[in-house]
Amino acid sequence: MTEATTTIENKTGIHARPASVFVQKASSFKSKVQLKAKGKTVDAKSILMIMSMGLVKGTEITICADGPDEAQAVAELKALVDAKFGED
Amino acid sequence: MAEKIKGKGVIAGIAVGNILLAGQNLDSFIVAYKPGTKAAEKKKAAEALVAVADNLKKSIEDFLAKDLKEQAGILDAHRMMVEDPAMSGTIDEQIDISGSAPKAVIDAYESTAQVFEAMDDEYFRGRAVDMRDVGKRIAKYLLGIKEPEIVGKVIVAGKDIEPSVIAGLPTDKIAGVILGVGSTTAHAVIIAKTRAIPTVVGVGDGIAQIADGDPVILDGETGEILIRPSDEERKSYDEKIKKQEELKAHYAALKDKPAITLDGKEVELVANIGSPADADAAVKNFGATGVGLFRSEFVFMGKTDVPKEEDQFKEYKAAVEHCATVTHGEGLCVIRTMDIGGDKPLPYIQVGHEENPFLGYRAIRISLQRKDLFMPQLKAILRAGVYGKAAIMFPMVINVQEFLAAKQFVEDAKMELVHEGKEFSDNVQVGIMVETPAAAVMAPALAKYVDFFSIGTNDLVQYTLAVDRGNAQISYLYNHFNPAVLRLIKRTIESANKEGKWAGMCGEMASDPNAAIILMAMGIKELSMSAPSIPRVKERIRNITFTKAKEILDKVMEMEDGDEIKKYLATLG
Repeated sequence: MTEATTTIENKTGIHARPASVFVQKASSFKSKVQLKAKGKTVDAKSILMIMSMGLVKGTEITICADGPDEAQAVAELKALVDAKFGED
Repeated sequence: MAEKIKGKGVIAGIAVGNILLAGQNLDSFIVAYKPGTKAAEKKKAAEALVAVADNLKKSIEDFLAKDLKEQAGILDAHRMMVEDPAMSGTIDEQIDISGSAPKAVIDAYESTAQVFEAMDDEYFRGRAVDMRDVGKRIAKYLLGIKEPEIVGKVIVAGKDIEPSVIAGLPTDKIAGVILGVGSTTAHAVIIAKTRAIPTVVGVGDGIAQIADGDPVILDGETGEILIRPSDEERKSYDEKIKKQEELKAHYAALKDKPAITLDGKEVELVANIGSPADADAAVKNFGATGVGLFRSEFVFMGKTDVPKEEDQFKEYKAAVEHCATVTHGEGLCVIRTMDIGGDKPLPYIQVGHEENPFLGYRAIRISLQRKDLFMPQLKAILRAGVYGKAAIMFPMVINVQEFLAAKQFVEDAKMELVHEGKEFSDNVQVGIMVETPAAAVMAPALAKYVDFFSIGTNDLVQYTLAVDRGNAQISYLYNHFNPAVLRLIKRTIESANKEGKWAGMCGEMASDPNAAIILMAMGIKELSMSAPSIPRVKERIRNITFTKAKEILDKVMEMEDGDEIKKYLATLG
């Protein structure tokens, strides 16, 4: 299992569009991908679960993946969050 | 003998069909359901998710093929909720608890809906409705309740019909609409209006007397609804239906004739539209000579991000081109810039929770602060102007400063287009909606700067009289003939004419033939309405003289009571 922690920096947090971008990316990997924040762990391939976390700017999140492409999944997803989902 | 219930007829016409209840209660079906083993139920649930997603995909394709993008957008969001991987897990957990697949599905989506409902963000809260909708859809599949197998025409009935329900049905299959609530401006009614579907609202608890599948006759004029009519009763309506057909034929013959009084005064009758396809239908089927209000919200709805200039340009260009097919290429297409606020929140417009969105951060107030939203829209309209005649209209303006600021954006948009080397029209008129009492009172000042006014009566009446148009208890106060409203309208029209500008109207009032004649007497140039209303208004104008209309107006302006005015005008029709 690989994991990485980062902080959400884009203004609107993980809103509908970033959530859908994040989920599409997560779904492109074979590994099981999870997102941990605020003491909860959810399936990172589920847009409903991601949106229901109510992730705002400044929230610390941990991305963890378990499977054949886990390292790549964590790296790419973290990069996406750090690039503010291409927003701002 | 049939049972009779009565509401308020809002869209005239007789409809005959079987009832399709919106918001069907599944409780009795779920109680009667005989579940198998837990493993079997889980398998059934998983299969149902796949099947329902497939059905949705098919419907989405059908809608897209017919250019019905709003409907397709709503269903696509629903498809994502069906295919969400988290749901299958939650459903399985629920099956472990209750042992029943349909109940588990309802409960799973209900619990997710509750999570969203508790969120701070208005947009997410609004999604709870969709999740319950999706849960029901899957449960119905599991229970073997067919998605309305529409054989022949149906009359859709419900206490309050979600816009997504109307959107999800092929509109050519809807014969009529019955609403429990009293609103004549509910989304369902607005959609029904653009398609001339006979509609009765405000039947209240009467809705409980109607069962799914009941044969019903509905009279959209009188508001009468006959449930399970006898053969004789059906026959008694044959005459009315025949008359309706004759009237339709008569209206069809009026299509290409001008809206001109017996003594030669002409008024433009144009259409309110929500999509370019509506413009085509308005021009071809109802004889609209242009578009007086293109509600651009539909370009913004159902998107997760700010709509691109290029995408908007395509929509506006199509509408402008449809208008250019009439009046020797002079048919004008008035495009209203975004009129969205906290009541219809979007993912890319953060309004936050407001006590009163209709008095809040909305429309031009957002546009002026959000260059990223406003500029692409203005540029798209200016570019569309090349293909005919386009006009830009700002909603919710309350003072001269707002107009001047917005006008500056238009000039900036032109500069950007020049720099980008894109072709645009420099002859796009720029005007405002007069829909706040402030704008009407300040009309003499505003008229100096604008190219035109378009009076939006739905909001003007609501704001002037402090009456919520959706509140059935006080809807008797909502009257566009209220003398206070009439004075504001008259002032607005006269102010425009005095400055050599023109005034039009794009609210519900414009579709009232009795209102049309007094508005004409006040000096209005253009009346914009849902296209099916055009022939009725045209008929009235063609059978009166301008002199007579002015006499009527004089009398009306002497009266002090809105109901008295309404009654007086009704005796003339």
